[in-house]
Amino acid sequence: MKAPWLTRFSVEKPRLVIALTLAITLAFLTQLPRAITDTDPKNMLPETSPVRVSNDEVERWFALPKDVIVLGIVNNDGVFNRETLGRIAQFTEEIFKIPGVVVRDVTSLTTVDNVRVEEGQLAMRPAVADIPRTPEAMAVLKQSLLSNPLFINRLLSPDGTTTAIYIPLEPGANAKVIADRIRAILPKETGGERYYLAGDPVARDTFGIQMFYQMAIFSPLAGMVMFVVLWWMFRNLTLVFSVMGVAMVSIVWSMGLLIGVGLPVHIMSSMIPVFLMAIATDSIHIFNEFYFRFREVPDKKQAILDTIRAVGRPVRYTALATAAGFAVLAFMHIIPVKIFGLFVAFGTVVIRLMSFSLIPAVLTLIKDERIRAVSRTEDETTHWASRRLSGLASVGLTRSRLLMAGGLVLLAGAVLGIVRIHVNNNMVDWFKPHSEIRVADRIMNEKLGGTSLAYLVGISGEADFWKRPEALRYLEGLQKDLEGMAVVGKTFSVADYVKRINRVLHRDDPAYDRIPDSATEIAQYLFLFGMAAKPSDLDNVVDYPFEKINLWLNLKTWDAQAMRDVIARVRAYTAEHPLPGAVFRPAGIAYFNLTWNDEVLSDMLRGFIIALFLVFVILVFNFRSLRWALVAYTPLLFTILMIYGAIGYIGKDFDMPISVLSTLSLGMAVDFAIHFVGRFQQRYAKEPDLEKALLWTAARPGKGIMRNAALFAVAFSAMAFAPLTPYITVGLFIVSMMLLSAAVTLVGIPALIVIFQEGLNLSSIKEKTP
Amino acid sequence: MRSITKYRFGIMPTLLVAVLSPVPLLAADGAEIIKKSQAAFYEAGQDMKARVKMTLMAREGQQRLRDLTMLRKNYPASEQKYFMYFHSPADVAGMTFMIYKYPNRDDDRWLFIPAINLVNRIAAQDSRSSFVGSDFTYEDVSGRDLTADAHALLREEPFNDRKVYVVESKPIGPAEYTRKLSWIDQASFLPLKEEYYDVQESLYKIFTAEEIKDVQGFATIMKRTMSNVKTGHKTEVVFERIQYNVGLGDDLFSERYLRRPPEKWIK
Repeated sequence: MKAPWLTRFSVEKPRLVIALTLAITLAFLTQLPRAITDTDPKNMLPETSPVRVSNDEVERWFALPKDVIVLGIVNNDGVFNRETLGRIAQFTEEIFKIPGVVVRDVTSLTTVDNVRVEEGQLAMRPAVADIPRTPEAMAVLKQSLLSNPLFINRLLSPDGTTTAIYIPLEPGANAKVIADRIRAILPKETGGERYYLAGDPVARDTFGIQMFYQMAIFSPLAGMVMFVVLWWMFRNLTLVFSVMGVAMVSIVWSMGLLIGVGLPVHIMSSMIPVFLMAIATDSIHIFNEFYFRFREVPDKKQAILDTIRAVGRPVRYTALATAAGFAVLAFMHIIPVKIFGLFVAFGTVVIRLMSFSLIPAVLTLIKDERIRAVSRTEDETTHWASRRLSGLASVGLTRSRLLMAGGLVLLAGAVLGIVRIHVNNNMVDWFKPHSEIRVADRIMNEKLGGTSLAYLVGISGEADFWKRPEALRYLEGLQKDLEGMAVVGKTFSVADYVKRINRVLHRDDPAYDRIPDSATEIAQYLFLFGMAAKPSDLDNVVDYPFEKINLWLNLKTWDAQAMRDVIARVRAYTAEHPLPGAVFRPAGIAYFNLTWNDEVLSDMLRGFIIALFLVFVILVFNFRSLRWALVAYTPLLFTILMIYGAIGYIGKDFDMPISVLSTLSLGMAVDFAIHFVGRFQQRYAKEPDLEKALLWTAARPGKGIMRNAALFAVAFSAMAFAPLTPYITVGLFIVSMMLLSAAVTLVGIPALIVIFQEGLNLSSIKEKTP
Repeated sequence: MRSITKYRFGIMPTLLVAVLSPVPLLAADGAEIIKKSQAAFYEAGQDMKARVKMTLMAREGQQRLRDLTMLRKNYPASEQKYFMYFHSPADVAGMTFMIYKYPNRDDDRWLFIPAINLVNRIAAQDSRSSFVGSDFTYEDVSGRDLTADAHALLREEPFNDRKVYVVESKPIGPAEYTRKLSWIDQASFLPLKEEYYDVQESLYKIFTAEEIKDVQGFATIMKRTMSNVKTGHKTEVVFERIQYNVGLGDDLFSERYLRRPPEKWIK
């Protein structure tokens, strides 16, 4: 049996292979500067997706802005003083001048219309037109504004300590750039005020920028840590460079191809380098085996060929399992998910190619005496690490039934945890608890109605439907019901305008704070309102023929779950109190986030489950045996169930980072088992002694597994210091997943093999061709 | 160089106007042109009666119609009184609206709401408040104080086969626009086009006069449009059955007639 021709060629012509690899890598490298980035999670769903089409339609019906930044201004002594009001006026003027801001729709105390009674006449003027000069006048203003329900929880907190400026953006404007311009306006030294910038666009665009910062700083950092650990393991720089080189080559080829074919770098595709770096560590198994071989076979070329012959099959099948797992994602619905899956699969194939070409070529060129010194200690019977590993495996041998029982108990516990998992995503939570964005969001949600905006569109087929008293009263009732929910901080509709005008027209008599009894009266009130207000005030809540209305909802959290609850509540309310002739439809950014959450995450989840099946099929194919495949599948399944069980217990939502992590677990956890079972079978075929073969496997390929897991764990621990929580989550879970699956492989597989040795039909094991 | 040449050619008609008019020669500038333009646009005749059809159009093609009768009477010292009666939409038919307009101070306004039989005085900001939900502000309907802006004659040029002055007006105090360009017909002094720029120096509103007719010797804009280029929203106003010097009485502009407008004036 021979090593594959590619390896033989690489050993014969190492310089040519290295030069060729470098040339191709350079060609891909030239593509990288052309990268275009798209950090908007919205674009994970195509423009033609129903939720985007529907939201666009609602935005057109009601002339709504696509994106709104909220500037919160908090003064614990109250905002009603000349300094604070003066600054609000000044900020509003300055904000007008920022390109990308929709000037006409900036809403602050100095631009919003206040409908009130003033010296016996109906006044419609900006809430703060002139800043009062006397304490008495200030008190009058405060009383007037705080008694206008249209402002409460939107422009003013009920205690008068907080106000907000709502800054709508032109389509395509970069919220991060505008947010930075706004920050530049805010004074460094303030009286008693604190300023907070919140709103979905700020979070989104800041995340996008942080994401690339992450890519630029933390991926290389993880790489450097790997470098140090590798050096500690193998004490040879050339060798370390080649492991890193394989990772870099696959990253450059994949990203170069992705950019070269004109695809934008997305939130998901930005994770490709980290994933490939993780997958590339599989080549450690080659070095691990080579160090053992080199001690046994003094001829280096022969040692290389022998190594590849021994590990070739496991390396090939781990690559196949990983590539197939990711390639499944290419058949999902969400385009960035497809791209992500496809390019990680491509990178995995590149890594495998390098395992059979670049690595043997580099090994050929390494000076013999350099590695001979190190490899001298590589002996599965004497080296401390190998002895520990055999010890671990012997636990599996001797305590197999106990381990099995313990494993089953843990699994039962995990299942209980898993049923508690719920799918939810909260983009603001992607930032750390003390980050500016999280703090701003928390304060604004405490003080005002909520930064997450949803719409509820009431659609009737009939003009003037929403001028009817019963229709508006219905809205009023629905609003009241929704305001009973803890997550709903404020609701607002055309009914509120009508009630306000009714009251103001009747000398501010609270008895008239209600919907009038006749449609004509309502129509004339709204006409009056239209005679004074900005056109957008009415356009935002009702369409031209009064056929559709738009109910605004401020939610106190960005949790997708909050919107799901709102929709359920609306459904329940409309079922219990039907309104003939009208239906309600959710819209807005909160609704988009819910749909995004459901579609992207369920797509990932579906892909993950299909990939799990596929990996099993590959294992069956690899071992030509259903039973052996089950043995090798156990560490993967056990690790995944344990991790998801833990997620369920600690109450972590199944969100975007976790879903990405799931796919990675496929590529990783199964690798160890493939190596372990494959190498065990090879060994057993040579010398059919179950115990010896298992202990040897734990000591020798097991060391490769441990090296791989340790390398991983250390490198990805660096991610715990990342500025964004998804990376921290991914980093920490990868670490625990690697260690867990390595342990399960080294202890659990021997236990399983011992328990089921009859069923596994050990006598039929023959050495398979690589 | 080019602008200087243009200016030199342009100054001749301006001088002629200045010589022919009773104002001093030095005042023949932007302000003077705007003053004449406002007189032609908002003050023609002693009084006026017109049926106004206003169509509000959203970008989506949705439309809202406002049908009203507008009565206007001039008083000494540039004061004016307006009376408006709404015929449609049907549910607002019978609503009436009255403005006493004064130069250099806020207008007085009254609105009659028939559904609750109530006359209410209304105070609102002229410069930004929309007129009945349209793209026109109150100022666009009844005129802005001449002294609220600094006016400068930029150039003269041909515009749709007419010779026009192009005047730039910049508000002195806070206003919705920061700069307005007016193309003013040299013959009739009516504005043929106006462009409004916001604080970001970007064009947001365009006024165009589409049809001008001679009515009893007064050049009159019969059809005009205000388009908001940012929102895609626009409002088209058509004047029908316009008559000047119809002899409106002073008593018409009173609360009593707001409630019960005389049939002969509003139909």
